Amino acid sequence: MKKTALVVARVTASLLGSYVLVWGFVTFGITLGVAGGMPYDDSQTLLYMLAFLLFVACFCWAFSAKSALRVWLCFAFGGALMTLSGWLLAGKLG
Amino acid sequence: MFSSFRSAMTWVHTWFGLVLGFLLVVIFFFGSLSVFDREIDRWAIPETRFEHQPMPSFDARLRPIFESIQPDPNELAQARERVGTLPEKLRLMNWSAYTTHRDPVLTLYAEYAVPNPSDPDDHVHGHVTIDPRSGKLLQNDRLAIGSAFFYPMHISLHVQWHDLGYWLVGVAALVMLVLLLSGVVIHKKLFREFFTFRAHKHTQRSKLDLHNLTGVVALPFHIMFPLTGLVIFAGIYFPVSQTLLKPLAEKHEQIEAQARGLPHQPSGVAAPLSSVDAMVVEAKRRWAKRGMPGEVGFLQVTHVGDKSGYVSIFRAGSDRVTLVGQAVHFEAATGRVIYEEPPPSAVSGISEFLTGLHLQHFQHWLLRWLYVFGGFSGCICIATGLVFFVGKRKRRHAAEGVHGARWVDALAVATVTGTVIATLGILVANRLLPEGLDQRATWERGAFWACWSMSLVHAVIRSAPVLQARISPAWREQCHAIAGLAVIAVLLNWVTTGDHLGRTLARGYYPVAGLDLALLATAAIALAAARHLRAREATPMPEERDGFSVDTLAVDAADG
Repeated sequence: MKKTALVVARVTASLLGSYVLVWGFVTFGITLGVAGGMPYDDSQTLLYMLAFLLFVACFCWAFSAKSALRVWLCFAFGGALMTLSGWLLAGKLG
Repeated sequence: MFSSFRSAMTWVHTWFGLVLGFLLVVIFFFGSLSVFDREIDRWAIPETRFEHQPMPSFDARLRPIFESIQPDPNELAQARERVGTLPEKLRLMNWSAYTTHRDPVLTLYAEYAVPNPSDPDDHVHGHVTIDPRSGKLLQNDRLAIGSAFFYPMHISLHVQWHDLGYWLVGVAALVMLVLLLSGVVIHKKLFREFFTFRAHKHTQRSKLDLHNLTGVVALPFHIMFPLTGLVIFAGIYFPVSQTLLKPLAEKHEQIEAQARGLPHQPSGVAAPLSSVDAMVVEAKRRWAKRGMPGEVGFLQVTHVGDKSGYVSIFRAGSDRVTLVGQAVHFEAATGRVIYEEPPPSAVSGISEFLTGLHLQHFQHWLLRWLYVFGGFSGCICIATGLVFFVGKRKRRHAAEGVHGARWVDALAVATVTGTVIATLGILVANRLLPEGLDQRATWERGAFWACWSMSLVHAVIRSAPVLQARISPAWREQCHAIAGLAVIAVLLNWVTTGDHLGRTLARGYYPVAGLDLALLATAAIALAAARHLRAREATPMPEERDGFSVDTLAVDAADG
């Protein structure tokens, strides 16, 4: 039973948790690029190209990390923090 | 949970490979067929079997046809459901036409505004397909099996509900990248295995060798496709610009539109359209001046009949990896150049190159075939992975009376041979169904799904021998079905159109000759596979050799 729960925690972290983190990365990255003077489309294109490389790395880390809890915490907090920062920065720029 | 990075990657490789492997075979297979989607269209729609045509004269040929296009009745009915009654005549928004170096026919598109208070961008479409040589309208309801059935299968599996198909393909693509990475981690001795194929040593060993060989030989290719595919549809997977960053995105869109000077909205004042042919001449002159003379790939008239109207002429990307581009925009009423798009920035240049690598619009037939073989090597890699999974477990499952390996084997049959059978089924149905049949395209699609379902049912019914750790006869029987259907498809093409191989080859008409030859090659391979399988079924499985299972197979390290 405990093993099943662990597997579920890691599989959901690898797909959903990574998604949350990458969402934040894309949001924050685009606004950072625009703040740095890039055209919006260029910034978005750049982040889209990097997004899936980060996703693959996060996916693998979700299984290789020692603690599943730490993985989930990093993804959730990292994703939320970057999304919030991106949103605030976009408000300043817009 | 795992003792090392390598054992974690082994677990991921085994179980994600199993769950998404079936989907990946299908995506790789139909992606490979999509490389020749236009050519498959020619096979399926015999009245379009003629040479590629450049974009014809707009003023003389296309304009009268554009003016005769009507909104699609089905879309009108759906629009009425959204907004109630519609005015007698909808406002025409834009016209467009797109062609490539592989298209003999030309499809013309029109968009019409739907007055909808809750969605200012609401619109419906209309389109016609013409023979550009004469301007004659072609039947619009013929199913272009390559570009309108196999290609959508590749990108969205024909699952339309809430874009679910795109998401499934996206997850599969992401997992493919992970499988490649974890595969490299598991098989550390990458280069030694690259040169290793022990075809006659031991079935399990040769399966694994083939798995590694096909995976490694085209590794950059296998990495490039899922990655660029994800980037192409990134807007669906991370729609930040439509949600969280919408205000910022819209603001920048307006700034950019202002800089270009292209009117976003119609003015409401009517104005005539000046000669588009003259604009095409000017666009070609400008491309030549930039050292890249070319043909028109995409042509669009925005705000048709309005004073703010403009004409955009894009260059076809047949001679380079990146797609259509280098647009020149003209004022519709005067023919004056409003804006010539500058060379792309570094970022969009890289992105366009990656997109172009995946969508391959360039003219290079050898490379096109290499794409197909690369795609098929991906299919073989994934399929041998699935078969290896079964082979490794069926003896133990047989001893324990567990059905797991049996189900995986049946699904593998339906995904590998079943997909080919369904593909051949739709081609055979395309040639067998009467020409004037109502809803012909629906029957063709039905034949595809029916063949696939029958293959699955057959694979399940015949899977009992797997329980005794033997080979399911479904593999061999479906190979025979493939051989039969492929030959029947070639014969039906001959009987119904007169285009036998002797004629198409003599004429040098390769879209049809190529598919016929590929079908015959498929039949030959399927027959050889069936013979091989019969020999295997007859000889009892040799006992597992000592020292084989653990120390030679890294895959065994940590899975369950």
